[in-house]
Amino acid sequence: MSHGLGRACLACCLGAASFHLTGCSQMGLGRGAAEERGGILFDRHCADCHDESNPDLKKQPPKLTGLFRSKLLPSGSPATDEQVRNTIVNGRGTMPAFDRRLREQDVDDLVKYLHTLR
Amino acid sequence: MASRYQAPVCLFLAALTAAVIVFTSACVAKPRQYSLKGQVMDISMTGELIVKHDDIPGFMPAMTMPYKPRDPGVSQQVRAGDLIAATLMVATNGNYWIEDVRITDQSGRTAARSAMVTQALRVGEKAPDLPLINQDGKTLHLSDFRGKALLITFIYTRCPMPAFCPRLSSQFAKIHEHLARTPADYNKTHLLTISFDPKYDTAPVLRRYGLAYLDNDAAGFSHWDFAFTNAADLRKLAEAFGLTYFEEDNQISHSMDIVLLTPDGSVAQYWATAWTAAELEEALRQQARSAASVATMGAAGMKR
Repeated sequence: MSHGLGRACLACCLGAASFHLTGCSQMGLGRGAAEERGGILFDRHCADCHDESNPDLKKQPPKLTGLFRSKLLPSGSPATDEQVRNTIVNGRGTMPAFDRRLREQDVDDLVKYLHTLR
Repeated sequence: MASRYQAPVCLFLAALTAAVIVFTSACVAKPRQYSLKGQVMDISMTGELIVKHDDIPGFMPAMTMPYKPRDPGVSQQVRAGDLIAATLMVATNGNYWIEDVRITDQSGRTAARSAMVTQALRVGEKAPDLPLINQDGKTLHLSDFRGKALLITFIYTRCPMPAFCPRLSSQFAKIHEHLARTPADYNKTHLLTISFDPKYDTAPVLRRYGLAYLDNDAAGFSHWDFAFTNAADLRKLAEAFGLTYFEEDNQISHSMDIVLLTPDGSVAQYWATAWTAAELEEALRQQARSAASVATMGAAGMKR
């Protein structure tokens, strides 16, 4: 029994370590300078909604990990660069438009960064 | 063998469970803390300091925002122009406030305590009847809502800060949904969201924004209008209600304000950063009901 408990504790520790490493591994895949810039912009403009829990909001913004792995975006639109770009610039539903806040190059970099979130 | 270890294991698991619960509760309940440094631009009707602050790493970039001191006495000591340092506290429910406010330099302070406070309407004073344009392109006046208790707030649709405009609109949506379940109160109340950004927030933009918060049910616009006005009238409204807003880098920095008007168009109450949807909803219902009650008593008096 004590061995069983020991194994359970070890499994928990390994699980926690694995979870931690999985989280970290998402941060460094296929990154060039544009993706690095996009990551900084993401942290500054997107993470508060898409990475945090905001129970006071009418709709919880979706997590964006694996956004381009699916054929469809959470909105049901095709998961294309153009569609994501349009959503960032013009907003969608309760997501605000980033028009006049982000430059064209910023949006390009953000889209490239989102491709790295696998 | 098993029974020999059962009690200690159970105790261990119970202790572990208790520790997890305590740890989790602490994580949920404890507000996040950030260091804030900046210059006080003004002080609102409700005692918020409008602070033009530096970057707050992990929370928001440099901008001008309202911050309510936990100690209300601070609003009396600080003047526009003062440089301050403080601790910003952000609760899990989105409420935020500042503590440990220290004036680090008062050489730039202005003589008046606040332009906003001296100009803004007091409770009981009539709101100005300025023209607004709603999500359907129709011209409105605040007097159109006479006979109803009116809850007004101010946003801009491009605001990306979840604790600010998106929270305001989300909580107004909750109030709208709750009121719809009580037809008597629904018919005696109205919600009005006014944009700080007339250059971007045109009628079609406001309609699209409003529908997102009304679950795409346009019938909701009969109880909740989304409106804008020209820059000059927006400035007059801001002076009347003690609002502060600045345009910086194509974005709007603004105070967080909610105003309740009585059915006769007078200011009943102001809120800034510390409020809940339940509190606003209750005040709105009470305002509508007390007015209805006075009207009923008046009618009864006439009959006698």
